[in-house]
Amino acid sequence: MTGAELEILVTSLSVAARAILWSLPFAIAVAFMLSRPRLRGKLVLDGLTHLPVILPPVLVGFLLLLILGRHGVLGRPLGLHLAFTLSGAAMATAVMIFPLFVRSIRLAFEATDARLFEAAAMLRASLMDRFLTIVLPLAWPGILAGAVMAFAAAMGEFGAVITFAGSIPGQTQTLPLAIYAVLQQPGGEVEAMRLAALSFAVAIAGLAGAQLLQRWATRRLLQ
Amino acid sequence: MMLDADIRLTQGAFTLDAQFRAPSGITALFGPSGGGKSSILAALTGLKPSRGLVRLGGRDISTIVPHRRGLGLVFQDARLFPHFSVRGNIAYAWKRAPRHLAPSLEDIARYFDLMALLDRPVGNLSGGEKSRVALARALASAPDFLLLDEPFAALDRTRRGAFLRILADMHQTYGVSMLVVTHDIEEASAIASHLVALADGRVVVHGDFAQATRQPEFRTLLAPRDIGTAIPASMLRSAHAPFEQFLWLRADHVLLAAERPHAISARNVLEGKVVSVTVEGLSRLVELETSSGPILSRLTLEAAEELGLVPGKKAWALVKAHTL
Repeated sequence: MTGAELEILVTSLSVAARAILWSLPFAIAVAFMLSRPRLRGKLVLDGLTHLPVILPPVLVGFLLLLILGRHGVLGRPLGLHLAFTLSGAAMATAVMIFPLFVRSIRLAFEATDARLFEAAAMLRASLMDRFLTIVLPLAWPGILAGAVMAFAAAMGEFGAVITFAGSIPGQTQTLPLAIYAVLQQPGGEVEAMRLAALSFAVAIAGLAGAQLLQRWATRRLLQ
Repeated sequence: MMLDADIRLTQGAFTLDAQFRAPSGITALFGPSGGGKSSILAALTGLKPSRGLVRLGGRDISTIVPHRRGLGLVFQDARLFPHFSVRGNIAYAWKRAPRHLAPSLEDIARYFDLMALLDRPVGNLSGGEKSRVALARALASAPDFLLLDEPFAALDRTRRGAFLRILADMHQTYGVSMLVVTHDIEEASAIASHLVALADGRVVVHGDFAQATRQPEFRTLLAPRDIGTAIPASMLRSAHAPFEQFLWLRADHVLLAAERPHAISARNVLEGKVVSVTVEGLSRLVELETSSGPILSRLTLEAAEELGLVPGKKAWALVKAHTL
């Protein structure tokens, strides 16, 4: 692996890790709300959560520019400098992986036994208490596996990232952006193949990691 | 602590419309399957939305969220938390209790004979052990009123008897009032001092156990082989303190004699007077008034005619001790 390739890999991992960490608390909160059977406005929340899937990624990037850009609706009053930075790439990635992340966490929540949730209520545990002591610990193997899957998806994010954060080598150029960049140059196919192989290896490692982590966590939980 | 309920709940084609009072002590919520017993518990606890009023010790709790109602609930399927040990399960309730019924968590564990299991995961406990942990956990949360949804369902006959004694003793030791759902009349009589009988979502009879079970409406809820009467008894030889209970005397287990019997093996002979003789196809259901209250006996047509049993006639009821 060349120094440049290592730099691209590190940028990709850094963007994906930040995207996961930033979206995790929101994804958990939204997934929990959506997993409640009697939530008002569930359809609206579900629809909003899935917006990044429905909209073209480039449009999501553009909307982020309009909202969080230096002259954006929130960007200007809050003095944000996210656009065309590593954090900006992570933000765009976080928004794009959010629906997938919420979905996998929601499945993990829905797979936990609702009857245990009721049992905890009858032992005087409040809603938040039940969430923290029953739902979250029982669902965490699923959340962990969801995070790894979302991480793998984050590594491949393209449209929103290039629109909101650009493709700046060493700052915002992740693996897919680098592949695209080298393909624009004559004779860049060999380098593109090398980067593609790297991407592939990371994705496979992610999937295997998700499986192993989930198995380990489930065993540990029920020991 | 007294529990008053006036509950209305609709679930598809099923309508529950129940008014009753469960006073201090143990009340059996009795009725055939599908009568709405579990729905009542769900409505009382607020786990299922319902209309109407629920008062606990005079305080309206119907608009309060489930975890603040002060009601404990022991589910049919123990619902132990799989990610905690036995100790963890009991401690979960203990930490959240506003007061402590026993001096320590270990005292509760000792009471339910769980000391040796405290650090075991709950996944590989036996059915009886799971039930005891569920009960210990519910008691540790110090409920003002404890609801139990067919807590004996998962237990075999021997364990059931032990569990019933624990419940009765628990009421005496810790002063917890209980509403116990059951469809078994023998279980109900073994622990309850009051009865709420439910059928098709409505309360058929409620009140003092012995009196309520004598109502003709109550008999319609029983399978023919369960028809009988509750007689007061005192459990003297038991691992726990002696306590008063009822014994359910099935009409099929009572023999009648037209003269005072002598030199017989039956240990229980009660003298009484025939109150009524009811025709039941080819059988006759004879009601006898005795010093222990009314007793029912089911006889064949021939036997009833041979003994000449008519209202006002003296007769002796014989009960084998082993049938009790």
